Amino acid sequence: MTHDLSPLGRVLRSSTTEFVVGCQDLARVPTFGSFVKVQAHDGVWVYGAAYNVLIDDDPFVRQIIGNPHIPREVALDQKENRQTPIEVEVLVLGYARDGLVHQYLPPQPPATLSDVYPCTASEVTAFTGQLSYLRTILFTPQIPADELLAANVREAYLRRGGDREFLVEAGREAARLLKDEYDRLKAILSRIRPSLFRSSTPEPARRRGVT
Amino acid sequence: MRDRQRIGTVIQGSLLEGLTAKLEPSASVESMRVGNFVVIEGQKKQFFSLITDVALGATNEQVLLDPPAGADDFANAVLAGTSTFGTVKIAPMLMLDAEPSLEDQGLRPVKTVPSHFSPVYEADEDDFLRVFQEDTVSGVERVGKKKFFEIGKPLNMEVPVCMDLERFVERSNGIFGKSGTGKSFLARLMLSGIIKSRAAVNLVFDMHSEYGWETQSEETGHFVKGLRQLFGPQVLSYTLDPESARNRNVQPDGVVVIGLNQIQVEDVALLQEELNLTSTAVESSYLLVDRYRDRWLQQLLNMDAETLRDFARESGAHPEAMAALKRKLDMIGRLGFVKEHVDDSVIDEIVRSIESGRHVILEFGQYNNPREYILVANIITRRIHDLYRQKTERYQQTKKPEDRPRQLMITIEEAHKFLNPVAARQTIFGTIAREMRKYFVTLLVIDQRPSGIDTEVLSQIGTKITALLNDEKDIEAVFTGVGGGGRLKALLAALDPRQQALVLGYAVPMPVEVRTRTYDEAFYRAMGHRERDEQRREAEKARTELFGE
Repeated sequence: MTHDLSPLGRVLRSSTTEFVVGCQDLARVPTFGSFVKVQAHDGVWVYGAAYNVLIDDDPFVRQIIGNPHIPREVALDQKENRQTPIEVEVLVLGYARDGLVHQYLPPQPPATLSDVYPCTASEVTAFTGQLSYLRTILFTPQIPADELLAANVREAYLRRGGDREFLVEAGREAARLLKDEYDRLKAILSRIRPSLFRSSTPEPARRRGVT
Repeated sequence: MRDRQRIGTVIQGSLLEGLTAKLEPSASVESMRVGNFVVIEGQKKQFFSLITDVALGATNEQVLLDPPAGADDFANAVLAGTSTFGTVKIAPMLMLDAEPSLEDQGLRPVKTVPSHFSPVYEADEDDFLRVFQEDTVSGVERVGKKKFFEIGKPLNMEVPVCMDLERFVERSNGIFGKSGTGKSFLARLMLSGIIKSRAAVNLVFDMHSEYGWETQSEETGHFVKGLRQLFGPQVLSYTLDPESARNRNVQPDGVVVIGLNQIQVEDVALLQEELNLTSTAVESSYLLVDRYRDRWLQQLLNMDAETLRDFARESGAHPEAMAALKRKLDMIGRLGFVKEHVDDSVIDEIVRSIESGRHVILEFGQYNNPREYILVANIITRRIHDLYRQKTERYQQTKKPEDRPRQLMITIEEAHKFLNPVAARQTIFGTIAREMRKYFVTLLVIDQRPSGIDTEVLSQIGTKITALLNDEKDIEAVFTGVGGGGRLKALLAALDPRQQALVLGYAVPMPVEVRTRTYDEAFYRAMGHRERDEQRREAEKARTELFGE
């Protein structure tokens, strides 16, 4: 697989089910629910969705937080050139090897300091050709699963070029998974329905000019 | 693999109760229709089946309690096929080995069910052709050319549904439907097919004078041709009422007169209900027969009060009953077609025509009420019954093919008057319906009230062609003697009132709903009919081909 975008950051910590990306630049932090990938070992690209961003303080911030007049350069520095990394928690959804997508956990987690890339539109389209990964999102404990699923599906929808059929299929997959939890299903459906995208508010992904 | 539309997946069921299939999300429950012909691809066998019920299901009660808001297409699209789904009940009818093998038995009645999750497909044209034209049902071997007749087309396809006419005429058959659903058109269609294919000779007791000559269609108001017109001299038209024939400007081939000497007690007994006769009165008539033989009715009608009393005293009959009998039978003497004494010439002529393979339609003209109809039909049929019994016995003795009697089909309308539980035991029609199959005579009963027919007779009816029926009892009656018939009931009540019929029984491999063939110019042509100027043109063409310009 090619990665025509520069890395977002590097792996800070990792496990089989999730990894944490350390980013320096807030502007390049992956948005909630978006797809990222990282090479684990030979030819295995681990795919995941960003589900939490943690912007930690550093001793310097603690010292000046009470200052009524913080210089603009200092505030900007906190965004673009931080001393402590922004931590992005990523849920592992599957992996690709030799162009084949597998929607289950990879054999090995990525090593620390591996480069983490955003996924291209064609990678997202290929990965979301199957939807069994939605199950991983829905049934992972202690994450905002429903919100993550909705954000991820919205993201995939836009990067697939506004494919309504995809939304319906994703909704159906959710309906199958949540057959006993109609209330949850309803909440998810209300967060991914096509009418959301007709509003004038641009979605983050669209702002980035990705189709 | 053929690109048949997959509509669902078998999820449960049994051979007795039928199968349940869950519909594919892509298959709209609204396009599933009771009666649709579907094919289930099992692992080893194909099952040709009918949809007998359509239902809605949901995985979760809550969905039903809190349905998505009215205009939410998206939620509906998502839920359809997942949380909410359609199911269909399927009755498997025939099965076929998927892999042709040496012991391949062709289409057979089902004896098992397909395995779990077998795919269900909408039948395509090939499936229809396979079932309704191939002659492989239940391994019955038949010699000679088969006589298939297109009775119509399936509701959603342009392929012919064919009936095996030779099988059809082998047993008694029924055409049912409430009034105005096109029973007489169906009958005309079947009769045409039988005449054209020479599967049997027909004798039609035409109560409303609608089969022989032109009649007006109730539906379109156009005039449609009668069988006498379509098939020319192969069909003979007799009438009881020459005046009516004259008024309609038709030329009957003969006029039927009945002599009092031809009427037997059995004929009168049949009219018991119509004439409101007591059983004592019927029994007393046997006393008359004992004394006067075939002149009993003539004598009775000529008796005055005194002779009647004398006769009663001498014979031990109840005088009041005798008087009542005379009073009620006086009506017979007054009928226009009844004479004091008639030798059997006209009836003989009819019987001879039938023997020689010509079809006979007997019109009743003004005498179109059940009393006269039953009387005449019974008298004539009794003669034919005797004749066929003799002929069959001779055939059984000689076993020569030329002695084999021609298959005869007798068409009767208002059949419940002849074949109700009381009459069926007394009339010749009851006998024919029950046992005359062996003597090469069968009935085509046309009726709007099948529940009035004796169940023993109903269960002997081979093929049933049924237009719409609403009455629960009538629907029940149609399925008498049909295995698993209960499941098909919904089909019958869901038929359109026009040009649709359910065909089931002996002459078709499995029950099928059809749009019946239209009885129009194209049909006349298919039956070989040509208008006069066309005949002339064809003759002209043949002449120039032979002799040049």
